[in-house]
Amino acid sequence: MTLQSFWRGLPRPLRIVITRLPLIVPQMFGVMLVTFLLVRLLPGDPTLLMLGNTATPESIAALREKLGLDRTVWEQFVAYVGNVLQGDLGVSLFTSNPVTVDLMERAPATLELITYAMILTVIVGVTLAVVSVVRKGGIVDNFSRIYGLAAGAIPDFWVGLLLIFFLFYIAGIVPAPFGRIDAFVTAPPAVTGFYTIDSLIAGDWAAFQSSAGRLLLPVLTLAIVNAGALMKMTKTTFEDIYRSDFIRHQRASGLPGRAIIRSALRNSLPPIITLVGFLFGFLLGAAVLVETIFAWGGLGQYAVQAVINSDYPALQGFVLVAAGFILIVYLIVDILYELADPRIKV
Amino acid sequence: MKSLRSLFTHIRRHPAAMVGVILLALQIVAIVFAPLLSTHSPTEADPISSLQPPSFEHWLGTDVSGMDIYSRIIYATRINLLISISAVALAFVLGVPIGLLIGYYRGFVSSLIMRLFDFIQSFPVFVLGMALVSVMGQEIWNVAIVLAVLFTPMFARLIRAEVLSLRERPFISAARCSGATDASIMFRHILPNALTPAIVQVSISIGMAILLTAGLSFIGAGVRMPTPEWGLMVSSGAQQMILGVWWVSLFPGLAIVISVLCFALLGDAAKELSDPTTRTRR
Amino acid sequence: MNPRDPKALLKVDKLTVSFGDNTVLDDVSFTLRRDEVLGIVGETGAGKSVLARALIDLLPEGGKIVSGDVALDGTSILSMNPKQKRELRGGQIALIGTNAKALLDPVEKVGTQVARVLRAHQGGSRGATWKAAVDLFAKVGIVDPERRAHAYPHELSGGMAQRVVIAMALIAHPQVVLADDATLGLDATIQVQVLDLLVRRCRELGLGAVIITHDLGVVANYCDRIAIMREGRIVELKPAGLFLKQPEEPYSGVLLDAARARPTPRGAADASAAKPKTLLQVDKLEKFFTVGGSNKVVRAVDGVSFSVGSGETLALVGESGSGKTTVGQCLVRLLDPGGGRVLFDGNDITTLPEREFRPIRRRIQMVFQEPYVALNPRWPVESLIGEPLALIPKTSGAARAKRVRELLDMVRLPARIADYYPHQLTAGEQKRVGIARALATSPDFVVFDEPTTALDIRVRAQIIDLVRDLQRDMGLSALFITHDLNSVRSLAHYVAVMRHGKIVEHGETETIFARPAEDYTKALLAAELPIEQSEAQRTRALDRHSVEPSLT
Repeated sequence: MTLQSFWRGLPRPLRIVITRLPLIVPQMFGVMLVTFLLVRLLPGDPTLLMLGNTATPESIAALREKLGLDRTVWEQFVAYVGNVLQGDLGVSLFTSNPVTVDLMERAPATLELITYAMILTVIVGVTLAVVSVVRKGGIVDNFSRIYGLAAGAIPDFWVGLLLIFFLFYIAGIVPAPFGRIDAFVTAPPAVTGFYTIDSLIAGDWAAFQSSAGRLLLPVLTLAIVNAGALMKMTKTTFEDIYRSDFIRHQRASGLPGRAIIRSALRNSLPPIITLVGFLFGFLLGAAVLVETIFAWGGLGQYAVQAVINSDYPALQGFVLVAAGFILIVYLIVDILYELADPRIKV
Repeated sequence: MKSLRSLFTHIRRHPAAMVGVILLALQIVAIVFAPLLSTHSPTEADPISSLQPPSFEHWLGTDVSGMDIYSRIIYATRINLLISISAVALAFVLGVPIGLLIGYYRGFVSSLIMRLFDFIQSFPVFVLGMALVSVMGQEIWNVAIVLAVLFTPMFARLIRAEVLSLRERPFISAARCSGATDASIMFRHILPNALTPAIVQVSISIGMAILLTAGLSFIGAGVRMPTPEWGLMVSSGAQQMILGVWWVSLFPGLAIVISVLCFALLGDAAKELSDPTTRTRR
Repeated sequence: MNPRDPKALLKVDKLTVSFGDNTVLDDVSFTLRRDEVLGIVGETGAGKSVLARALIDLLPEGGKIVSGDVALDGTSILSMNPKQKRELRGGQIALIGTNAKALLDPVEKVGTQVARVLRAHQGGSRGATWKAAVDLFAKVGIVDPERRAHAYPHELSGGMAQRVVIAMALIAHPQVVLADDATLGLDATIQVQVLDLLVRRCRELGLGAVIITHDLGVVANYCDRIAIMREGRIVELKPAGLFLKQPEEPYSGVLLDAARARPTPRGAADASAAKPKTLLQVDKLEKFFTVGGSNKVVRAVDGVSFSVGSGETLALVGESGSGKTTVGQCLVRLLDPGGGRVLFDGNDITTLPEREFRPIRRRIQMVFQEPYVALNPRWPVESLIGEPLALIPKTSGAARAKRVRELLDMVRLPARIADYYPHQLTAGEQKRVGIARALATSPDFVVFDEPTTALDIRVRAQIIDLVRDLQRDMGLSALFITHDLNSVRSLAHYVAVMRHGKIVEHGETETIFARPAEDYTKALLAAELPIEQSEAQRTRALDRHSVEPSLT
């Protein structure tokens, strides 16, 4: 009873965080199981696949022992979990670096790309949705209808290529799609890992210009495709709320238009938060494609190399990190969702 | 017969549905008559005529190895739709009964299956698909199986959510009072009502499957050359785009857009049609 | 100002509204004076709600004012600019709508919502407007206003939410209040409290009020003048007393007739010669529910006992949450009771396994509350009515089709209805299909769950007549679950009053209505708004205070 009253006494946000946080443990455990099984799924002898034509009986035996394939599946899994918890994801067969090091090195590039793409996507998607609902039948509404339909059907990698063709080859107004920063510009000293922010911190204007310019096309590519999906879903939610009884009642009560839109948006917030969470998953997948096109040198490109070179430890590491990242995003989304909706009991 | 007629009147009244049907018809023609429609072999390289722009000989140009893009696009319709439709069909056949059962009978096993689905869906689709295909081996059928695995939870969850809300509806209680058995309630009352969103989802999922297949092939984790596949074809022109060679990537990309658009439009039409209140009015 | 009527506050002049080619309001004219309560009554589709929205020029999408004018204090509303119109809405004319919980912003504190309206019209700081809102909360009968102001709408009861909406309407000191079916769906005792409060506040402030409703009882008891709407026109407009005594239009007469209770059916007293054999006996029935994960127990049905003889009808009366519907569901085995016995024709049906209960199902049937949701939307009427026939072994397809025709005829529906889907039917037709379905197997006992709720006046009367005929012709025994006392008078031989899962009073219908013994029964009866009441009763809002505050 006292525990219960103590619990009730805690501020609601704190209660939400405390109830949500422990859930991540079993989920993360599940992720490890999946990534572990992923490599176990390899048909035939994984050592042969990993070593390829150059395999000698000795090297196979050595790798088998290194991978622990001579032990039981259960022991292997325990060993794998132990390693992961210590931050050991194995050694990449392609780069010969520890996978953890490779991933850490490349993560900021992908994060920077996804972050800016996310910001642009949310701004464009939500704005279009709101305007097309409020001004129903207007130009924006009609445009958004066509855009929503088209954006769902256009492959992102193709958009990227078209942007390169039109904006780089034809118009020549954007830098070449080769990496995050001009080859002649030195990257700013790493603080956050985001070139745009680090260059501002270092006061390096040239680096900022170059990195911002390089971000333009890949961010645009991701936003064009994903803003359409976000807009469509936000529109459905927002429209339902904007035509609901309580909004009508606010209008009948003489509240100003701005206040009404704000109130409708505030009510659409929980579902939008959920959508944004899903969007992170999409963007991560899309980043794999887009990074390849723009030679971005992030996690996505690393994953593609891993696939092409059958670099299974690297692939395994990437899936683990990606899934872990998404789990954390979902956790934050869940917490924000409950914060935004007072109807949910904690 | 009545419903067939109402289908036609519906399509005639909705231009978007009409476009969807026409695009679907075009694809079916391409699949059935590919040998007649194509002008060249879809897989034969011809290094002499590499990277030719569109011309009378090669309507949509040629790629790096000199293969005719138009013919490849026509043939690729078979591959892309085969993969996508079989993947979605498999996911539907697996997902619907699972969803129906775990929605109707709630218990430990049901909630365990749900947790598992939640979990699978928490992985970014593309990342998981890429990893699975690359591990299982880059074969057409493996791509289809992986997509089916990724889509099954979606159908199961959709059906389950419908079943959960339907089983609380008064008409189910009323049916029970009228002596309906469990089987009758599940298959005659709940399933027809629950199927609506799943059928709409079929169309949308085929579009998603086409995009995913193309994406996987684009990064080299799907089908391999020289199989004609749209994503692979876009990929083969990716390097040249920067040099202004646009036709290699542009046309197969357009094929993807048209195909996905077609299924999106059909999905929208299905959504409206499947609602009994829009189908028949007094 | 209108020279003819210096006191006219709101003047509606030949107002015509259409949606496309469909004229919804046709040449509507009336005036509302200060300190007057005008009642507008009509059935579904009469255009009442459109009228309310037209008065503040806020028609639903597609609606257009074709001609006519609305003037407040001599100023035409239609010629105002958007800013003036915004100030008018809520500032001069306030609208109170149906289902208060849906009218409140679910993610905002109710105090803030009311304060927001005041700020939109008169400005002022957040603190000052909040305080004004809390003060008004106290005046509209919200207990502990400061704490309630911090609540979110989902934390309030329906009656409390309605009071918040009333506060929202009054906060900016409007001159006219429009109440559009404002108490629909509230329990009768709460409805009376809310209406009492609303009318009293309007009278105190000298406001003009328009009460729009489908319930003649409401206007008969609260309004000075009554207008009857039909198909977008006002067919009759008269002072209330005059109207109730001598309605001019035949339609008004039909409505008044339909709203009156039918004479009590053949009471047990008449047939007292032979006490009928007991068909259904309920003995200390119990059903408890646990609330969502917590260990709080709701005693929905708590030791209920009654019996129904063959050919008799018992009405189970109570407000929402009294457990009356749960009792009904236990009888037809939709719920398994937690304790007690239900004897049907001598058999204990609570312990029978479903397989053995099946043969009994055809003898005990239920008519469900909401007709539309109780019919599978994908089934045509023929299949819906025919479904229970599967309970009778060896029914051929032809016999089935024939029986469906018979049943349609019995509930007075044309045979062509058989091919229709539920959404193509009117509410009354849906209700009849529900009744036909329950009667398909010629049951001995039927549970009617709220058969008259949410129906228009005339449809409601038709359903009551239909049930009366069925009682007479088929010798039906029935349990009648309802909160509509008027229908109880017309249909039931006996009444049991339920509250908090228990039967508080039980007896013959006439006795209970004439001489209720329990306070709760008295409160329920007092909350009834019959149209038969005398002139003196109409001013109840002024001299009578709330029925029983503890009921909220």
